[in-house]
Amino acid sequence: MNTNGLNKVMENTNAFCKKLLVCRNNFKTWVQLDSSNLSDGQQLSVKYFTVAVILFFAQILFGLLAATQFIYPSFLYEILDFSVNRMIHINAMIIWMLYGFIGCVYWFLEDESGTEIVGLKLGNIAFWVLTSAVTVVVLVYLLVQIGPGKDSSLWFINEGREYIEAPRWADIGIVVVMLIFFYNVVATFSKGKWSGIAGVLTLDLVALAGLYVAGMFYMTNITHEQYWWWWVIHLWVEATWEVLVGVIMAWSLMKLLGVRRKIIQTWLYIEVALMFGSGILGLGHHYFWIGTPEYWLTIGGFFSALEPIPLVAMVVHAVYDSGAHAFKNSNHPALAWIIAQAFGNFFGAGVWGFMHTLPQINMFTHGTQWSASHGHLAFFGAYATINIAFFYLAIQHWRGDVWMGGGSQNAWRWKWALGLLNGGVLGMTIALLIAGYEQSFIERAVEGSTWGGYFTAQNHPSFQSAMNWRLFFGGITFAGFILLVWDLLTIGKGETRKAPEIIES
Amino acid sequence: MIEPVALEDFFITFFSSALIILAGASYALLFAWSKVNPVISIKIAAYISYAVLILSVAELTRAAQFHGYWLIISLVMVIGYFFAPIGIWHLCVKTHTDDLTPTTEEKR
Amino acid sequence: MNEIPLWASESFWKKMAIWVTAGSFLILVVLTMDSLSKTSAGSERVPAYSVINKKIDYQYNKTSHKFMPVIGENELLFGKEFTDEEARQLVDLGKKTTQTKNCMNCHTLLGNGAYYAPDLTKAWLDKGWISKELREDMMVKFLMDPENNARTFGSNRKMPNLKITEQEAKGIIAFLKWMSSIDTNGFPYNFKTINAEE
Repeated sequence: MNTNGLNKVMENTNAFCKKLLVCRNNFKTWVQLDSSNLSDGQQLSVKYFTVAVILFFAQILFGLLAATQFIYPSFLYEILDFSVNRMIHINAMIIWMLYGFIGCVYWFLEDESGTEIVGLKLGNIAFWVLTSAVTVVVLVYLLVQIGPGKDSSLWFINEGREYIEAPRWADIGIVVVMLIFFYNVVATFSKGKWSGIAGVLTLDLVALAGLYVAGMFYMTNITHEQYWWWWVIHLWVEATWEVLVGVIMAWSLMKLLGVRRKIIQTWLYIEVALMFGSGILGLGHHYFWIGTPEYWLTIGGFFSALEPIPLVAMVVHAVYDSGAHAFKNSNHPALAWIIAQAFGNFFGAGVWGFMHTLPQINMFTHGTQWSASHGHLAFFGAYATINIAFFYLAIQHWRGDVWMGGGSQNAWRWKWALGLLNGGVLGMTIALLIAGYEQSFIERAVEGSTWGGYFTAQNHPSFQSAMNWRLFFGGITFAGFILLVWDLLTIGKGETRKAPEIIES
Repeated sequence: MIEPVALEDFFITFFSSALIILAGASYALLFAWSKVNPVISIKIAAYISYAVLILSVAELTRAAQFHGYWLIISLVMVIGYFFAPIGIWHLCVKTHTDDLTPTTEEKR
Repeated sequence: MNEIPLWASESFWKKMAIWVTAGSFLILVVLTMDSLSKTSAGSERVPAYSVINKKIDYQYNKTSHKFMPVIGENELLFGKEFTDEEARQLVDLGKKTTQTKNCMNCHTLLGNGAYYAPDLTKAWLDKGWISKELREDMMVKFLMDPENNARTFGSNRKMPNLKITEQEAKGIIAFLKWMSSIDTNGFPYNFKTINAEE
């Protein structure tokens, strides 16, 4: 009886596995991607890209659920509460972008160092360890959600700190995986050759891993806890990530437009000086209201006024370069997403950031939908766009360096995906801006931030219609994502024209 | 020490801050463009952008009730956004000197 | 024209990048040490945990030109005077519970977190608790069974039941009371406390 049941289960699993395998093979024949076009490092990197896209999907999905709950609070109440959806929404974002960055680095590591990756096997193991850890963390988020107020909950369920909620065992796992990644980068460059790009990348990865450790500790004193928490969040997002993108961009520009290495590296150093010079102490704008001394108001205000300077530098340089280089580009979608990055970064980080960052006004905008508005545009504009651009570069190479410039078939797909994704995020940003404006006005200024004031603002018709629009534009974003995935899987299929090779000028 | 923005000045604060960044960037853009393509109207447009930037800084200074050392930030913005594009342009030219690409004069 | 001047050379900017980064980071480290010492529990800005034995208010201070916490006479929590160690333990339990129950992904604490539920910075002082006599009891009941003691303010948004025990609820309340005594540079502005006369 018992063995019979077991046999049946076994049979079912077997049949299921076979079906899955057939599906997988069908998919493989359909996409027609030839992995022999990729180097070993690039094969590892496309694994990272694949998971990145899946997590991007999770980000949008859980964002939509959370957005729905703003309109229908009883939706999934006590099944998947807002806190769970929102946590997965922002965690998936952080992790997919990190996956994207790691993928980008593995993509060019061999090319840049001139040798093969030293610890490729280790890198592969690290990929699977990280991916299974992420899966377990998400499953625990979904199924266990919360724990009693004990250390064991912090270790195994949830640390309850926005953006870095991952339980401590996963923290340690992430650090280990980052160290393996770091080892691969350093050892490969040491075996091959070092370059300015390699040096900046290495130091940036030290900072990236080191900063994460600053956010791993539990503290009773909430002022101290939030102090270190911002070290991780701010110094990652507004310093080390920016430089990482700078490194990725530097390599891409060299390969795509054939800009000379010397110029690229000089400008990479200039960018590092400007970004770290304004970004590190720009941390001050998070220390206005958490109990820290008043001098942070001045420091934060001052460096926030400086933070747009790197953006101005990019504007000037872009104009200079547009005159210097005739754009003959064989990958239009990638170029379009890089242009989207320039605009998204400028508006999201620059304009939206500065609008509410001075303490005189941040007093009223802090902790309202203003931050959400800024966050949506800035994260998407600065980081999602560059990752997507790189996905297109990768897929072009995977297809065997086919032409993806003008006159490609089905170009409407990437164009519509670009339009829908950017339009969707911009729409959400503006809806949240209206909500935040109303909130800072009614809740913060008039009602003095009481609970009553909070709900008066939440119940206001302008807030509620803003939330409806946000959901609507979330849907647009989702449609854009679906189209993006379809396009990434099919673009260049059946294309026979080759992309011309680009030689360093 | 800060003086929070008054309720009636909320909108103008957001608006002028956004305008500072936008005017600063369009000044930088037009300035660089006038170097690539030396037409007097582009140069004038660049200075108009800069004038808008000064007005926005002045308006933000009033709305955000800057006083004392906070005025330094206004000053830094006015001076910094004027000279930053010029400095960066010079950097562009000089870092590309042994490049094969034409310099400003040759381009004409 | 063809000579690259020093200030545009690769090596100059390499050094510049290193010095700017190292310099900024050094300043940050110095400021961090100063800030941490000025905000340790028991400092002027962040009171000791035993402040939960005192009356806390939040008022506009004319000389320092901002809203500031005002710590007054004894006003015991749960009718008990806590020693320093007991107070620390209770606040610690509360703080830990706010993390393990993931409060921050609906609420904001010191203005940081999510925006689906009200800010908790001055929650202890909020007028929503009607009167100081009812406050403690209402808070315990609400935390332990938020569905049936819902405080939706006409929004239909209800806090889910997070299986908070009585001891955890008391810890959270102690934590909230302590947090309301932190000097947050005048944030939130214009907040009228439960002590204020109508």
